[in-house]
Amino acid sequence: MSSKIRQIHTELTRQEYSCTDLIKNKLSELENSPHNSANSILAKTALQKAQEIDQKIQQGKKLDELAGIPFGVKDVYLLQGTYATASADMLKSYKAPYTATAIQKLLDKGAIPIVRENCDSFGHGSSSENTVFGAVKNALDLQTVAGGSSGGSAVNVAKNYTVFSIGGDTGGSIRQPAGFNQVYGLKPTYGRISRFGLMAYASSTDCVGMFTQNLEDTTILLNAMSGKDFRDQTSVDSPKISEVSTWKTKPSNFTVGFYRNFIENEALDASIKADFINLIEKLQNQGINVQALDFYDAQTLVATYYIVAMAETASNLARLDGINYGERSDESVLKDGYALTRSQNFTQETKRRIVSGNQVLSQGHSEEIYLQAQNLRNNIMAHFANDFEQVNVILSPVAPNHPPKIGENLKNPLAMYLSDAYTVGFSLGKLPTLTAPFGTDIGVQITTAKNQEETAFQFAQFLETL
Amino acid sequence: MPLSVLSSIKDAKQSESVTKLFETIKQANINKNTENQENINLLNTSIVEVSSLREDTVIESSETEKQFIKANFPLQKNGFLVVPKVID
Repeated sequence: MSSKIRQIHTELTRQEYSCTDLIKNKLSELENSPHNSANSILAKTALQKAQEIDQKIQQGKKLDELAGIPFGVKDVYLLQGTYATASADMLKSYKAPYTATAIQKLLDKGAIPIVRENCDSFGHGSSSENTVFGAVKNALDLQTVAGGSSGGSAVNVAKNYTVFSIGGDTGGSIRQPAGFNQVYGLKPTYGRISRFGLMAYASSTDCVGMFTQNLEDTTILLNAMSGKDFRDQTSVDSPKISEVSTWKTKPSNFTVGFYRNFIENEALDASIKADFINLIEKLQNQGINVQALDFYDAQTLVATYYIVAMAETASNLARLDGINYGERSDESVLKDGYALTRSQNFTQETKRRIVSGNQVLSQGHSEEIYLQAQNLRNNIMAHFANDFEQVNVILSPVAPNHPPKIGENLKNPLAMYLSDAYTVGFSLGKLPTLTAPFGTDIGVQITTAKNQEETAFQFAQFLETL
Repeated sequence: MPLSVLSSIKDAKQSESVTKLFETIKQANINKNTENQENINLLNTSIVEVSSLREDTVIESSETEKQFIKANFPLQKNGFLVVPKVID
């Protein structure tokens, strides 16, 4: 499918319709949506920006291809003057004082944010049910979850309420909902896009990424948002992705890897497994080298990720104590106020992660649990480095199962954590991973070595033709 | 130290689900083979180097930003920002 961004840009500049009408239509669709994907709709500012774009078009001014394009923002990004709630009571009245670097780059090109999107609170979840705004409903089936934590963003793109949406991915929060709603979702190489202005969950794996309907739009957005930012010391400069039209149609001298134990995992749904094996066979029939690789088991990957992530989120969310901003439940005594504020205004799942994170960092536990997890992470990264000396891409399922019914997994946190088995390893490795909406009915993940996003995109384009 | 104090969350309890993750990690087989040390050091090479840190200078916030920061303060009275009592 060709670029939706470029199609709308052409139609706007030819004045086939106005930007104001485009934005009004999108706002109306969001307001009437049954999917509960919006925490707040930015009607007033979006229409103002649309009028400015219309004026520029009428004056014949040259516009960037992103000018006038309506997009969504996961409700964990700061966008000056808008409510930034993280889908939590703690921040329900908090207005962003400044704008995240990644979002500012899109604003500078004229793109128009129209909605702040529902998600798991502070990114804590894999279903977009852990939100004080109510569960997000899947774009394809209102009875099932949207996936998470960036569920609202995935649904908005799948339903065409937004042309693209900016999500956040810490352990699979873009890739899994992209698969569950059948859109493209990219977690770039860690550091490629600045995290400044993204509410921190687990700082060592948090990534800014995007949902789109096609690869060309993913490329446009990745190029627009990438780059070193002095406000994020972990950000890096990266090579620009070339135009899709210049890509090879079929990879040559190319080896695809897949993790044998992911496919032999008893928890993997039979139909997803059959579709994945079928895809591998199609590749072999096309003359592509395919290599089965060994990797860590799902339980070890999930445990390593969650221990690191919980420790980091416990530290990051310590700042939310009701003193400088956010809700404050008790005005009288400082220490009691902290505890009451945090007990009343964090969700159950967020509290579970904070408590567990503090536990693993405490004396006695840090050596045998936290440091052990960090050592395992080092081993996992070394394992990836070896694997990418043998293969160009690693292909894997997005999740072991189809999206569950809403409410089904809420009472079983361990089942929810284990549903992240196929995404968390690549987060620990800081590797770029694309979910492409084909291969199985919840898509496939394509992973490459760091900064090799273009290889993943070209391979996805080839897969689409099979 | 009790979890409620560590986390500043009342009635904080250990989670059964998370305890199972802890058990998995304790039993995990970690490769401590020194031959792999070069690759294992990859993690250390991806951290920020001191030589590339930004200058430690104060960057003034814009007036708009300052207004939002003040407006976000949970309680104000007679033009003052109200904080809880620290010492009785």
